[in-house]
Amino acid sequence: MANIYQYCIDYFNDAPIIIQLSWVLSALFAVTLISLIFYLKFLRSTLRTKERIQNVYLKKYESDLIEYLYSGNEDEEMTKEQGIIVNYLHKCAQNRLKRKLIITTLLKLRNEVSGETADAIKRLYYQTGLIDYGTLKLRSKKWEIVARGIKELAQFDVTEVHYNVIAQINHPKKEVRREVQMYLVKLFHFKGLDFLDLLKSQLSEWDQIQLLEILQNFDDQNLPSTTKWLRSKNTSVVLFALKIAKIYNQYDAKDEIIKLLEHPDLNVRIDAIAVLGDLGVFEMVDLLKNNLNEKDIDEQIAFFKMMENMYTPSDVDFLFEYMNHENFDIKVSVNKIFKEMNIQDASKFQINTAPESPPSSTNLIQAS
Amino acid sequence: MINNIIEFLFFAFSLSAILSYIILALISAVETIDYMKKNSFVNYKEILSSSISPSISIIAPAYNETLNIVENVRSLLSNHYVNYDVIIVNDGSKDDSLEKLIKAYDLVKVDYLINSQIPTKPLREGVFKSTNPAFEKLIVVDKENGGKADALNTGLNISPNKYVACIDVDCLLLEEALQKMIKPFLETTDSKVIAAGGVIRIANSCVIKDGKLLDVNLPKSLIVRGQILEYLRAFLLGRMAWSKLNGLLVISGAFGIFDKKTAIEVGGYDTKTVGEDMEIIVRMRRHMEEQKVKYKVAYIPDPLCWTEAPDSYKIFISQRNRWTRGTIETLRKHRKIGFNRDYHTLGLISYPYWLIYERLAPVIEVTGLIYFLYLLLNHFIRWDYAIVFILLSYLFTVAFSVITIITEELTYHQYKKKGIGFQLLMTAFLEPIINHPFILYAAAKGNYDYYFNKKIKWGEMTRKGMSND
Amino acid sequence: MSEVKKVLLAEDNSVLSLLLKFKLEKEGYQLFIAVNGKEAIEIVEAHSPDIILTDIMMPFVSGLEVISHVRYKLEIQTPIIVFSSAGQEEMVIKAFNLGATDFMSKPFSPNELSIRIKRLMR
Repeated sequence: MANIYQYCIDYFNDAPIIIQLSWVLSALFAVTLISLIFYLKFLRSTLRTKERIQNVYLKKYESDLIEYLYSGNEDEEMTKEQGIIVNYLHKCAQNRLKRKLIITTLLKLRNEVSGETADAIKRLYYQTGLIDYGTLKLRSKKWEIVARGIKELAQFDVTEVHYNVIAQINHPKKEVRREVQMYLVKLFHFKGLDFLDLLKSQLSEWDQIQLLEILQNFDDQNLPSTTKWLRSKNTSVVLFALKIAKIYNQYDAKDEIIKLLEHPDLNVRIDAIAVLGDLGVFEMVDLLKNNLNEKDIDEQIAFFKMMENMYTPSDVDFLFEYMNHENFDIKVSVNKIFKEMNIQDASKFQINTAPESPPSSTNLIQAS
Repeated sequence: MINNIIEFLFFAFSLSAILSYIILALISAVETIDYMKKNSFVNYKEILSSSISPSISIIAPAYNETLNIVENVRSLLSNHYVNYDVIIVNDGSKDDSLEKLIKAYDLVKVDYLINSQIPTKPLREGVFKSTNPAFEKLIVVDKENGGKADALNTGLNISPNKYVACIDVDCLLLEEALQKMIKPFLETTDSKVIAAGGVIRIANSCVIKDGKLLDVNLPKSLIVRGQILEYLRAFLLGRMAWSKLNGLLVISGAFGIFDKKTAIEVGGYDTKTVGEDMEIIVRMRRHMEEQKVKYKVAYIPDPLCWTEAPDSYKIFISQRNRWTRGTIETLRKHRKIGFNRDYHTLGLISYPYWLIYERLAPVIEVTGLIYFLYLLLNHFIRWDYAIVFILLSYLFTVAFSVITIITEELTYHQYKKKGIGFQLLMTAFLEPIINHPFILYAAAKGNYDYYFNKKIKWGEMTRKGMSND
Repeated sequence: MSEVKKVLLAEDNSVLSLLLKFKLEKEGYQLFIAVNGKEAIEIVEAHSPDIILTDIMMPFVSGLEVISHVRYKLEIQTPIIVFSSAGQEEMVIKAFNLGATDFMSKPFSPNELSIRIKRLMR
């Protein structure tokens, strides 16, 4: 036994350095490999257990929540049954995983219901002390926790801490800024858009869509004036204001938008053309026609696209020149217009007054 | 003396390969953690339902797919995104694919002006749309056979949308696939995103029903298991790092989204190569570098696209043979960018890496084997040396695979069932011995075919059904 | 009071269906819960409920397919209320074309739902 051991030692000592290194590395990899295998085994069983536990708790919290909602009455702030549930959840909330599961459960229902039930869920969020954990997240050093905290507070409509949230509006991480913006808009609707006045960073297309979607959940009549944003030096804010003008049909903004036809940014000019078309601002058609050929090809395409809904009989001669334009999109738009006007011969045209009826859906037997 | 030099070169190659794997894995780890953090609170629901979300065309070429075409199309139509359409390009199929589609989806021929910005083979029967409003998103194009690249180009010409998602028709896309893939295009404000690549997961043995992935299983066949591990390694620990370095050279042909304008600007897919999916990315990147525009190729690591992998050695070998030839062709065609400072990361890191560790690796390995054989025949072998080197590389390979499995568990944890962990481990141990020789053989054959066999036929992948009930 | 009225609820959000189950059972209905469209169709065929409440976006088989199955395959005129989320206006129109009786946009008030059910059952 000792001999073999001695032989190995000698062999190793006599081997060239590269072989020694290889043996050492092999041993190292072997040890790593074995520990990795044990870790994998441990990890898989932990994950499985965790999932099982989660499912059990989720079920439990779901029924607790429902029980809470049905054991309340109008006379008392909190009934005895509700008190028991609140105490239980309060205790559970001390554990991070359980806290997460409770919040998941509350939100799962809160996102789908409104009225009394939604208010009751919010009340439970306060009573169980979850709100304290939520606001605590704002002070975390980790940006992802801050962002998650803001999102949670927005989902429960917690307005009390809005000063602490607004304080993060210039956070270096765009993910945090995005959550702050969504928080403001979700809780203060159009008023929440005031952050646009001072916005230095670019509002990405993704952010714009999210904000508009949140706004569309409210039938607020207090539309803000978009003028100051249409004049903003931040191009992304201008683009966003154009989208608002379009969605909310802000005809009043037309003069401001017409000015944007000369904006230095191409995308702004293109969107401005489309929005003016959507708003039905006929006076800009002639304005654009005048120097159309000096414009960028993409602006020209946008112009003819817009003309599909804005043409009048007086445009026929003008459009006729573009019927065989070298650009495919322009040609398609112009031909579409002529088709709709029902023109075979340019000299004797008539406008097809009856709009094309939308395809009937009666043959819809099976929907996907 | 010459022996020493050869040995040193082999050693340097192996060591640098190992090092590069470790470095890429480390970068991937950092990037993955960051991605997971960022995505832990993103709400995709808003993008999904918004009517102002950008429009996407899914382009799926089909060639003799009659077996599953109807079902595959239905699955593509069930994506949870608002503004998208599905363009099926029937690439001169000789079977009854078109008739089946017409019947299943109430298709009628329509007049459709096509902007032929990329030259393609002419249409055969023409363009079809459905009379049923439930299928208004569907466009079927019937054209003469011209290969996959040509079919994709037809789709690019036809698409009216800003973005195109090029996929294999038999892929299963998860419901949230499009909104996750479009995110980088929408949220990047400091550079232009020209393309985004997705992850391909292997669907063999998984339960798929009505276009939904119901149950993830590990297939029995070792060759497929080996590929699962291989894909996990490439997607979890490889591409994630390349995307961080902005050096991604390839987007899987099975699922990628492109900025249509840029794709058309560079002339679409190259119909002369068998590696059109890699080639177009290299060409698009090259174009952007030459235009001096700041750009990015994004990568989404979520398992969004599931597809059937070859389960016979014959088809597997011909697939890899084709990949090898595709790589050689692309690298040769764009030789100019290699080691060229004007092309930044693309020229100085990505290209050399692909050349040395993808393109040349099989060549070096075969040379090594021949050299080993030579030593063996002349009894020059120091067996103890040989054993320690083999042991070292084997242990590293296995450990690397195990790290991959652990990464998968920590991130997406798709293989939840009990027992799969052990089976994956066994695969990690067996794969280098059993699967690797076939991959090496296929790569060597690819090299041989590329240089010496001029009339090679395109490897056909006979497809099995996606739905297994 | 005649026999107990049967309500089918097809909804993939488990908390919401639990909430509605409690509420409607308290009001004297018998509840059947389906978590996807496929189950919903099976329950319709097995128990012929007096009213169907279905979400539009569901896994496997959508609410639209449930409606079309009830109206065109089974050819029965059971009242159907669909739940939709914001931004699914197009889907709601499709649902009405297929023969839905009423719709409620999420988030909705459970009280309002129960009033509508009562009205439709009369």
